[in-house]
Amino acid sequence: MKPAAHGTTVETPFSRLLAMLRPDLVRFALWLARDRSVAEDVVQETLIRAWKSRAELKDAGAARPWLFTIVRREHARLYERKRLPTVDVDEVEALGDPALASEGDASLDDLRRAIMQLPDEYREPLVMQVLGGFSTAEIAAELGLTQPAVLTRLFRARNRLRVIYGLEAVEDVE
Amino acid sequence: MTETRPDCRHARLHIGADPQHLPDDVQAHVAGCTTCARFLDETRALDGRLRGALELPLEKFRTPARRRDGWPFTWNFQLKMAASLLLGLLVGGGLWLANTPPALAGELVEHVRHEASSWSGHAVPAGSVARVLQDAGVQFDISMPVVYASACPFHGRVVPHLVVQTAQGPLTVMLLPHEKVRRRAEFEQQGLHGVLLPAGEGAVAVLARGAEVPEPQVREIVSGARW
Repeated sequence: MKPAAHGTTVETPFSRLLAMLRPDLVRFALWLARDRSVAEDVVQETLIRAWKSRAELKDAGAARPWLFTIVRREHARLYERKRLPTVDVDEVEALGDPALASEGDASLDDLRRAIMQLPDEYREPLVMQVLGGFSTAEIAAELGLTQPAVLTRLFRARNRLRVIYGLEAVEDVE
Repeated sequence: MTETRPDCRHARLHIGADPQHLPDDVQAHVAGCTTCARFLDETRALDGRLRGALELPLEKFRTPARRRDGWPFTWNFQLKMAASLLLGLLVGGGLWLANTPPALAGELVEHVRHEASSWSGHAVPAGSVARVLQDAGVQFDISMPVVYASACPFHGRVVPHLVVQTAQGPLTVMLLPHEKVRRRAEFEQQGLHGVLLPAGEGAVAVLARGAEVPEPQVREIVSGARW
């Protein structure tokens, strides 16, 4: 058993990558699950799966969407496996979480709460796009939707948030 | 913003859906339509705020107790339950509380259960074990044969997950140089017995299936871990 030099910590590039991206993975999982403890479970499972499948990641630049995809699938899998109850909008624990409160920026607080209360079908593609950097084509492929359907969902998500932001909602696209 | 010619409708769908990546025909339309140009400006401004809203300051989040399988209760309900439980504990004495295993124990059990095949390992080349230890920056010298070795992500770090063979059966060893444990804690969850104890600046966990973890082996494992 050849040990590492005493007192030193050897980190692989992949483990550094995971550590660097972990905060965004937690954020993404949190916006999906709307529950901190579920989000942490999802990220834990994600890191395990990512580590085991690390050989599949040929390009470090693609790590972010790759990991976000695993988060999304682990989130779905968690609900299937553990049969967790779906969260009613009025029961969203994260709505009362102090992390939603910004320093003196009430409109940002309102926006966070409004995003939390978006239906899953609107919130998920929006978070994938804005936080995850997915293109609409990538979202369509990942969610099993047509690209026009994704455009419609993203449009409607933003249209609901326009009102919170103090703008007039525009006419729906259909 | 009530005028909605067909080309405006098409443009607004794209602007509202993906304001940072507009197709050429939409860009051409926006260049000649003040209403859609204003809609684009508003939507891009909204997107800036949206990005700020989504980037939550994680350090401000509370760290609630770990959710159990199928745990269906809300945070408020859990608080009420916790208050009731605390009252019961005060009445019944504090000994049970002192022996309650930390949340870390539950996470270790979940992790080990996730890698159930690790228990049936037979042998691991010394080079593989050395790589796992090196990835985590730890040393581990014991006499027991290592029959499974994996570098596993745990709490954002890569830690060695080992299984060693003993006369009493296999033991799972998790070397946790970044975890702080104040005192020894024993636990039994989901058919696994475990002990979690401080080791230098970190911690070591040893788990056994269906039986108590043998104390002599625990002492050797802890004394063999260095970081």
